Amino acid sequence: MSATTAAAVILAVMVAAFVVAKLLKVSTELSLFAAALAGALAGGKGVPARHIVEGAFTYFDIVLIFVTATLFMNLLKESGAAAFVVRAILRRFHRHKAPLFVLLALLLLVPGALTGAGSVTVLIMGGMAATVLRTMDIPGPKVAAIIFIIAGLSAAAPPVNLWAMLTAAGVNMPYVGFFLPLLIPCVLLSLLAIFILGAKAKPVDLAKALAELPEAPAKMTWLRVAAPFLVFFVFVLAGRVFPFNLPALGLPLVFAAAAGTALALSPARIALLRVSRETVHQLLPLVGTLTCAGILVQIMALTGVRGLIAVTTVTLPVTVVFLTLFLILPVSESVLMWGAAPVLGVPLVLLFNTIGLDPVVALAGMSVIWPLGDAIPPTAIIGRLTATTVGMKEPYGRFLRYCLVPAVLIAVVGTLMVVFSKKLAFLAVF
Amino acid sequence: MHTVVTALYYLLTAYVAVMLVWNFLKRKNWQEEALYVIVLIPFLLRLLRLK
Repeated sequence: MSATTAAAVILAVMVAAFVVAKLLKVSTELSLFAAALAGALAGGKGVPARHIVEGAFTYFDIVLIFVTATLFMNLLKESGAAAFVVRAILRRFHRHKAPLFVLLALLLLVPGALTGAGSVTVLIMGGMAATVLRTMDIPGPKVAAIIFIIAGLSAAAPPVNLWAMLTAAGVNMPYVGFFLPLLIPCVLLSLLAIFILGAKAKPVDLAKALAELPEAPAKMTWLRVAAPFLVFFVFVLAGRVFPFNLPALGLPLVFAAAAGTALALSPARIALLRVSRETVHQLLPLVGTLTCAGILVQIMALTGVRGLIAVTTVTLPVTVVFLTLFLILPVSESVLMWGAAPVLGVPLVLLFNTIGLDPVVALAGMSVIWPLGDAIPPTAIIGRLTATTVGMKEPYGRFLRYCLVPAVLIAVVGTLMVVFSKKLAFLAVF
Repeated sequence: MHTVVTALYYLLTAYVAVMLVWNFLKRKNWQEEALYVIVLIPFLLRLLRLK
């Protein structure tokens, strides 16, 4: 049997193991692990403990970022900072739809941008944003669509974009130059989404909204809200401005410092251990996906399957790849979640690099499209989470229908970023 | 200074590992338990300085 055929057979075994595991109602994370084990067995490697450990470590640094960033966000929510900001914005702008929409979209972008997870946006800000939007007479499925689309874009927004980080790590490319290519489309598309879906919104019923929103502690101030973010940005900027005078702290420690500041300045007493435990449990599916995807990718490399996928992708007609990005990226996300980035993103970036496109902007474009898959079954984790958080009673299909127009816009913008990445390379400055 | 940063990372890893073990002990669902064990592997190996 040739090496290509052997790798193809192993890939088929892995896919079959994944499908069988899913049919047996096993979670996506454990299904990825089962696929990895089946691939190793089919490849005659037995249960390769060393490679399983090696793979589990692949995204360890990203897992630490994830945990500390989400802890920071959860502490901010527990301190009442999120409620304080939403209530203040509402009081100031309840008569003006446009600035209210802009500020709501920006607020929704922050948690996901800092943590790399759309689910964190939904959990931290989703409920409060939904309360405000519902008082503007926007139907439940439309509110869910607004929150889901912006949550997805927040996950793609800088500084932490896991799809780009995972893919960049897979092609030995530094995660540098992504800030503007991610920030600009994410902000613009979020604004477009909220303005399109909220076009028929009525002015906010202020009394009703304030009554439904959680109260902020009386001693909460703008300084207490801003200080943790200041600490975060000072550490990040200091590391960049004085790279030779300061030790490299890394994002996990910087997030931990910001979380410590939020905890210290909170006017409300926060049970740190409880919040930490809940944060870790809240993140289990996401951290589990990263760990299992790392193991899967390692086993794929061990058995030659990764090489097979890479070579097949690199030799595909480029036009076909461009025209199907809008489909294959969300579908791969819906099946593999972040595992899609190392499995599919790596060979695609290699392909784009080979044909002379800018890998940074092209990967940024792909990263904008990927989150759309989070509303598509079988996983649909963030879609379902949004529907639950918003308290949507209508069928899930109605929510998907409202997502369609912004999703098409996102897919078009992402694909154009890939196609014209070379011309947009000037954006990849920091 | 780098030693301090390394020590802080060990502390951070230990803190998350304790939370993972704590949650693992509270779970009743086998899938969640299995996932906690898998996620815990790199944290424990790093703390034990085996990897």
